[in-house]
Amino acid sequence: MVQISLPENSKVKKGKYFEDKTGSKNLRKVNIYRWDPSTGENPRIDTYEVDMDNCPSKVLDILNKIKNELDPTIAYRRSCAHGVCGSCAMNMGGKNGLACTTPHADIKGDIDIYPLPHLKVKRDLIGDLDGLYKQYKSIEPWLKSNSKSDTTEIIQSKEDRKKLDGAYECIMCACCSTSCPSYWWNGDKYLGPAVLLQAYRWIVDSRDEEREARLKKVADELKLYRCHTILNCTSACPKGLNPAKAIAEIKKMLATASL
Amino acid sequence: MENKEPLSPHIQIYRWHISSLVSITHRITGIINIIAVTLICLWASFLLFGESKYENIDIFFNSYFGKFIILGVTWSFLFQILSEIRHLIMDLGYGFEIRTTKITGLIVIFGSIILTITFYFIGKNFI
Repeated sequence: MVQISLPENSKVKKGKYFEDKTGSKNLRKVNIYRWDPSTGENPRIDTYEVDMDNCPSKVLDILNKIKNELDPTIAYRRSCAHGVCGSCAMNMGGKNGLACTTPHADIKGDIDIYPLPHLKVKRDLIGDLDGLYKQYKSIEPWLKSNSKSDTTEIIQSKEDRKKLDGAYECIMCACCSTSCPSYWWNGDKYLGPAVLLQAYRWIVDSRDEEREARLKKVADELKLYRCHTILNCTSACPKGLNPAKAIAEIKKMLATASL
Repeated sequence: MENKEPLSPHIQIYRWHISSLVSITHRITGIINIIAVTLICLWASFLLFGESKYENIDIFFNSYFGKFIILGVTWSFLFQILSEIRHLIMDLGYGFEIRTTKITGLIVIFGSIILTITFYFIGKNFI
């Protein structure tokens, strides 16, 4: 259901202010969403003054700098730092993206950093993605080929392989799904752009033999048709993929196929 | 422990894009249009009560507020039509590139305003 305001325990309060101690002239204010599960208090926004003269170019570098030099209590996920693993997905300057590939120079004014929107927060910038992973599992993201033997390779033409471009590159960082207002309001039933892009990836795979069953499975008022082409997903995707188009293609297949 | 974990901020912090703005306006104008069509039906049925009753409506439509309502509804219909065309094109699978969505979104926004002004001047000439 559409609920615009945050629940009482999620209202964000003003937090601590960490003043710069380096005396640098090139400072930027960084506002970071904090929540500590051990205190039982509401989330707060802590503000840090960061010396930009000694900080590399990405938002993740700012977070690392803060964790190393200003406040070791801050928690966030990160791993590869090269836009491959999808761990450091968060909301920066009002837009979802990967902290490791988002230049802080692209954000005007103070840098606001929040966890991915409309998730249960585990701690600070860490959101709970269990629901999304369960939905991912529900589309059975693996090759289903019953007739062919396990030992011979399944030949795929270049044209058929090309259909997977723009779908297989997804790293499941959840930037798109958590940017989608439809997913905010109906995330328990609507599969969301990330999972639907993967559903599409298996539907168009020429080697898969369960195409029809897969299509039937997503052909649902809530699972699929809650996409209203708001297109936040496509503009959020850090890999430049187009989940909205994939969803439209599924809709098109359902409209033209006789199941 | 239940509900202890807070919900991260969503619509409060997410930046608006042209596409999301067009999408929400599409919904709002849709609701306005349903109300407007109902009122237009009522307006038409006032004809049954004779000329003197109908004059009241004439007076209302000639007031500034009445004119504002007419222009507002005209814009609302035009926005809905343009946005619906955009949706139809998308349903065919075209126009999903970020640049294209921005351009078509801007066409819908400014097109509806320009067409409203055009309609206003056409109406003026006929009176």
